[in-house]
Amino acid sequence: MAAVATVSSASGILAMLQEPAEELKLHALANLNSVVHLFYPEISTSIPTIESLYEDEEFDQRQLAALVVSKVFYYLGELNDSLSYALGAGPLFDVSEDSDYAHALLAKALDEYASIKTKASKATEEEETVDPRLEAIVERMLEKCILDGKYQQAMGMAVECRRLDKLEEAIVLCDNIHGALSYCINLAHQYVNHHEYRFEVLRCLVKIYQTLPHPDYVSISQCLMFLGEPETVANILDKLLSGSKDDALLAYQIAFDLVENENQAFLLNVRNRLTSQTPAESNPDSGSALPDDQAGNVGTGSTEPAGDVQMRDDTATPNGSAHTVNPNEVAHADRLAKIKGILSGETSIQLTLQFLYSHNRSDLLILKTIKQAVEMRNSVCHSATICANAIMHAGTTVDTFLRENLEWLSRATNWAKFSATAGLGVIHRGHLQQGRALMAPYLPQSGAVSGGSPYSEGGALYALGLIHANHGEGIKQFLRESLRNTSAEVIQHGACLGLGLAALGTSDEEIYEDIKNVLYTDSAVAGEAAGIGMGLLMVGTASEKASEMLAYAHDTQHEKIIRGLSLGIALTVYGKEEEADTLIEQMTRDQDPILRYGGMYALALAYRGTANNKAIHQLLHFAVSDVSDDVRRTAVMALGFVLYNEPEQTPRIVSLLSESYNPHVRYGAALAVGISCAGSGLSDAISLLEPLTSDVVDFVRQGALIAMAMVMIQTNESFDSRVGTFRRQLEKIILDKHEDTMSKMGAILASGILDAGGRNVTIKLLSRNKHDKLTAVVGLAVFSQFWYWYPLLYFISLAFSPTAFIGLNSDLKVPKFEFLSHAKPSLFEYPKPTTQQTTTSAVKLPTAILSTYAKAKSRAKKDAESKANLEKATEEASGSTTSGKAAAKTQDKDADAMQVDNAAEKKAPEPEPTFQILTNPARVIPTQEKFIKFIEGSRYVAVKPSPSGFILLQDMQPTEAEVLALTDAPSTVATNTGSAAGQQGSASSAMAVDDEPQPPQPFEYTS
Amino acid sequence: MDPKLVEVTQLFSRFKAAFARNDFDTSVSLLSQLKVLLTKFPSLPPSFQQTPNAVEELKIARDIYEHAVVLSVKIEDQDAFERDFCQLKPYYMDTCGIIPQSPEEYPILGLNLLRLLVQNRIAEFHTELELLPVNALENACIKHAVELEQSFMEGAYNRVLSARQAVPHETYVYFMDLLAKTVRDELAGCSEKGYDYMSITEAKQMLMFSSDQELHEYITEEHPEWEIKDGCVFFQKAKETQPCKEIPSLQVINQTLSYARELERIV
Repeated sequence: MAAVATVSSASGILAMLQEPAEELKLHALANLNSVVHLFYPEISTSIPTIESLYEDEEFDQRQLAALVVSKVFYYLGELNDSLSYALGAGPLFDVSEDSDYAHALLAKALDEYASIKTKASKATEEEETVDPRLEAIVERMLEKCILDGKYQQAMGMAVECRRLDKLEEAIVLCDNIHGALSYCINLAHQYVNHHEYRFEVLRCLVKIYQTLPHPDYVSISQCLMFLGEPETVANILDKLLSGSKDDALLAYQIAFDLVENENQAFLLNVRNRLTSQTPAESNPDSGSALPDDQAGNVGTGSTEPAGDVQMRDDTATPNGSAHTVNPNEVAHADRLAKIKGILSGETSIQLTLQFLYSHNRSDLLILKTIKQAVEMRNSVCHSATICANAIMHAGTTVDTFLRENLEWLSRATNWAKFSATAGLGVIHRGHLQQGRALMAPYLPQSGAVSGGSPYSEGGALYALGLIHANHGEGIKQFLRESLRNTSAEVIQHGACLGLGLAALGTSDEEIYEDIKNVLYTDSAVAGEAAGIGMGLLMVGTASEKASEMLAYAHDTQHEKIIRGLSLGIALTVYGKEEEADTLIEQMTRDQDPILRYGGMYALALAYRGTANNKAIHQLLHFAVSDVSDDVRRTAVMALGFVLYNEPEQTPRIVSLLSESYNPHVRYGAALAVGISCAGSGLSDAISLLEPLTSDVVDFVRQGALIAMAMVMIQTNESFDSRVGTFRRQLEKIILDKHEDTMSKMGAILASGILDAGGRNVTIKLLSRNKHDKLTAVVGLAVFSQFWYWYPLLYFISLAFSPTAFIGLNSDLKVPKFEFLSHAKPSLFEYPKPTTQQTTTSAVKLPTAILSTYAKAKSRAKKDAESKANLEKATEEASGSTTSGKAAAKTQDKDADAMQVDNAAEKKAPEPEPTFQILTNPARVIPTQEKFIKFIEGSRYVAVKPSPSGFILLQDMQPTEAEVLALTDAPSTVATNTGSAAGQQGSASSAMAVDDEPQPPQPFEYTS
Repeated sequence: MDPKLVEVTQLFSRFKAAFARNDFDTSVSLLSQLKVLLTKFPSLPPSFQQTPNAVEELKIARDIYEHAVVLSVKIEDQDAFERDFCQLKPYYMDTCGIIPQSPEEYPILGLNLLRLLVQNRIAEFHTELELLPVNALENACIKHAVELEQSFMEGAYNRVLSARQAVPHETYVYFMDLLAKTVRDELAGCSEKGYDYMSITEAKQMLMFSSDQELHEYITEEHPEWEIKDGCVFFQKAKETQPCKEIPSLQVINQTLSYARELERIV
């Protein structure tokens, strides 16, 4: 019996099924079940027979028949039928079986269950009942996962199947609840497409959070913000503020994190609630919180000296004297004031402004080259240059270039003048206190006969809006008055945009009425801005005003107004997802291509950053089938907005479109990649854009250059060599006399974007907590309108966010604090300043500078390293002597650098260090974030470990004097920028002496 | 010896006795009992477990099914024949020499071929044929079936009918009778296609009926669409009723339009 006998056909067994005797049928079925994987093609022809066995009520092994049929269907790829029979098989279908069949069917069962649940939730009425057998299988699965410790799987399934009860169970049973909760939050944001349901999930998570003994308030607040529950957030903040010093730090941190998400309306709400609650609650709160706090500290044996100190103070006061004012209350009031400052966004804006000013590294030489290359009479390139300057210096308040070229600047006339004035707003963005004073010379003078041209007056109002974008409490009134007091359409245009920006998303009724009045004058220029302004005002409110706007868009004859309105309508449905579907449907089916074009924007904004399949599908459909090029272009571009949460996907999705015969589609593809991959430096994105930058059609080149700059922003040559190539390409285009104006303009703007905000900002559409940054998204959406209206270019400044690590102590001051970037410094350093290329030695010159520069840098790094070691050793003593030491260090370093300068030409460069010590506040670009580490044993410990943004630091040695950076102490600033050679060095140290950058002297370029 | 095997052997001998007596009712009931008993043997297909009694069990099981096949011919039950043959087949095909070849193998295989021919399942006929080893074709039983099929395909119906006289095995007679009917159906089909009409005498001759009566019965039963008038059989009606092929204009138009649309969409 050497040969092992095997059956070659199932026909014998199948024949047995036909036998009249029950036993034979049974025997056949059992056999079939064991050979079904081999003979399913044969068995499939006999399925009706087996099915009839299953349906035969009297047959006692119906379930076995069902199992066999199910398996056959599985092998045939008919998963639906397979599943329904598997359900019929009851207990015979083994969930834990480790076979392909079982796995596939379980997956199918889950899908099925999830889709039924989803449908059921949509249908609202309870007519669709879930098959209890299916439910049983799913529950068995979930329980098995939980038992096996595969909590993440269980959570994923529970979320997918809309079983919040199970989700809760899984989370509570999990050994790492905090991890599980943050995993779930991620899950909710990334994979839950349905808006309502995501809310439910988050609500459930918040509920769990609140039951924990040590709630993670940072995450809770994020969830609550998403849910739009300012009251609860206010309560949490209030509770924390009344707690210990560390709690207060945590409260500040939460506030900063909330601010980062740029939800103005929500922040206002929280702030107002904080105010209204405190008078009533602060007394009992601070009274009761203290013993609590004390007990907590004693109980846990906490080592936080900060809390101890404060308590000692507190307990000391009653003995010391009978002050009429309770110091607790004073402290509380102080904290309240601080947190309000943070919530209003003023603190972060101010700190950002200081950071951007002090770290400004923009390269004026680039601008100079552009200026010289551009023909004076070409107004497009001229104003593009002004715009590039504005972008380069966005938020830095440095307007040196403009000051130096007043005469050149004065060539801007009419709308170019409007833009140039608005550009000042970009440069001074965030200069809340001085903004109005700065713009004063250009603003319309009430009462007196205005001397300035309406263009600069309008531009100035727009500039004010840009300065106060999303933080317009202080300026709204002024802008409204200006709007009412004028009938010049240019000024109205500026005022509408400005008001929209300042009151972004507040849905202020009065402002809306004012802007609406402008719209109803039916003036094309003012109406366009009014449309956009209304949209900005109503961002994300999905108010019924949209239908009003739509009705007017149908009435008016002016294309400009229709376009403005359709963008405005699109803005109103920002982030509304399914809720916006009716409106989107209405717009995309309109006869008027401009409204369909608005429909594309509505799709883009409603589904921003969701990667929603339905939206992508629709957009792709319009991208290839609409008759209007404008609609097609916008549809492709809109993909960028929908996909910005998954930037890796975009190049793949639009790659075919980028090779379209239609230049508009190619342009759209370029911008889509630019928008969704902005600031990522993604290799795929660059590869896709590269060929487009030398397209045959001029405007495609323009779009590709701008998009490329957006992708490459803050990426330097040593990170990706193509950045260098791109910079040279830009220069070549700008210098080329025969290049088309369009692509030249693109190149100029690209140079601006590439070095935006003094090389310290990036374009970010998602906050660190993966929330959408409303202002940024809206900014880019309106920016992409520059196709029709160049002044809208300035909206890009809304999308800039500083790439900074700013550590703050409990006074919200910036203490000196060091941390580690565990990567080669050259990967993330500033691009080298360009050099004059007039002489033939230009090639030699930069190399010499480079090597010394690198040498000096590496030496400085080593120095810093040794210093870090030293500091570790002498940790205790370091606090008091830091400032003196730092000063000494600086000198050492300078000496070293000089020495190296001399020797540089002879020695080969030493290998680069693999890490770098950064000093608070520091530039940390997004790609660098994963390398950031905190030095163990340093004086300050972060409340929430996060690699960038505003971080509250807990002081471990509160008794010692703190050395502050950025605000006073010039010596520390010198250390910060000590190794940096360049024209900004002196400026930064000089500036750092002041609390805040001095407002530049007003100047006027108009003759 | 295994008690189960003993039981089966005893029952089988009773079955054989009844079978020899041509007591078909008893045989059938005994047979079904036997089949049920066989399911208890693990060495039988499809599991083919290697038990000590495997050879004995396989042999007796094969014997039982061979008898079952012959019995089904005798009781003229084609379904039972197919059923039993299918169950028998693994013993021939898949035993890989565990048991020696049965003397009845080729007659039964030939019988099956004949059955397929009778049921006009030519495709399956050839499938079965291909599964046989080359030397099997030399066997008289197989050869008989193959030759019949060839004649059948050539249209040499005479030879088919005359082959009845030269059956290699007594069980073949039943199927040879049935074959005449199959041939007649073939002829009827061909006549329908080949002629517009045919005189009754000719039709009678062609379809091998001895009387007009039989012809009439056949026509009313099998081909009600044929028409008999003026002493002739008209096939016209059958042809007319065939649905004339309509041009699917709407579908073509739709398809063309969608092509045009897709072309537009090429990006």
